[in-house]
Amino acid sequence: MKKTYKRSFDQLAQIVADTNRFFEEQDIDDSLRMKVDLALEELFVNMVTYNTESDREILLEMRPIERGVEVSLTDYDVERFDPTVVRDIDTDAPLSERTPGGLGLFLVLKMADSIYYEYRDRTSKITFRNIMSAGEAADDV
Amino acid sequence: MFEIGFNERGDVVVSGRLDAANAPRAQAFLNEINGSCILDLSALNYISSAGLGVLLSTHKRLSADRSGLELVNVNPHINDIFRYSGFDKLFVIRSA
Repeated sequence: MKKTYKRSFDQLAQIVADTNRFFEEQDIDDSLRMKVDLALEELFVNMVTYNTESDREILLEMRPIERGVEVSLTDYDVERFDPTVVRDIDTDAPLSERTPGGLGLFLVLKMADSIYYEYRDRTSKITFRNIMSAGEAADDV
Repeated sequence: MFEIGFNERGDVVVSGRLDAANAPRAQAFLNEINGSCILDLSALNYISSAGLGVLLSTHKRLSADRSGLELVNVNPHINDIFRYSGFDKLFVIRSA
């Protein structure tokens, strides 16, 4: 699957619908959906929110891999920002010290089984993979 | 699909997907709440950091008056997100 989306949160519903179709067509296990949806939304929202100098559409690519899926988001004409290098969140902090925000990329790193970032010619590309564990795969047989 | 409203007991019921597109509507609804509040999440099937931010900001505002949000009927997937985020240490959470 290869498709571009406008730089708007309103596109999230379409991304979910396209992800649904891709999972069905490729027969990818639904147990990966929550993780893929969450990592994908957080990365897309991050691009829309912070790469405001670009008016280019964001490219989403998905492909099946052994026991899982690989997802890439590419953002054109933007500054370098590596989402894999983020500050840790103190999840033990008391309520008085917690603030809304900052959890998005933290959750991406929790959700993705692997993730890597490329930046070249003012183009940011982030790729993550989600793979069923051996136990999950065996349960599925 | 996202919905937020009251049930017959006066609890707030949140259903569908609480994502970045729907978070402003959830925040506007919860901004009208005062005092202790139960959120029934039995029909919530997805939450992202935008939704977590709505819950956190509402809980902080209510807690300033010694009230707060109680999250009930939380499904295992949503509970995992709460746990990763440290929300299990901030909220009273009751699993489904």
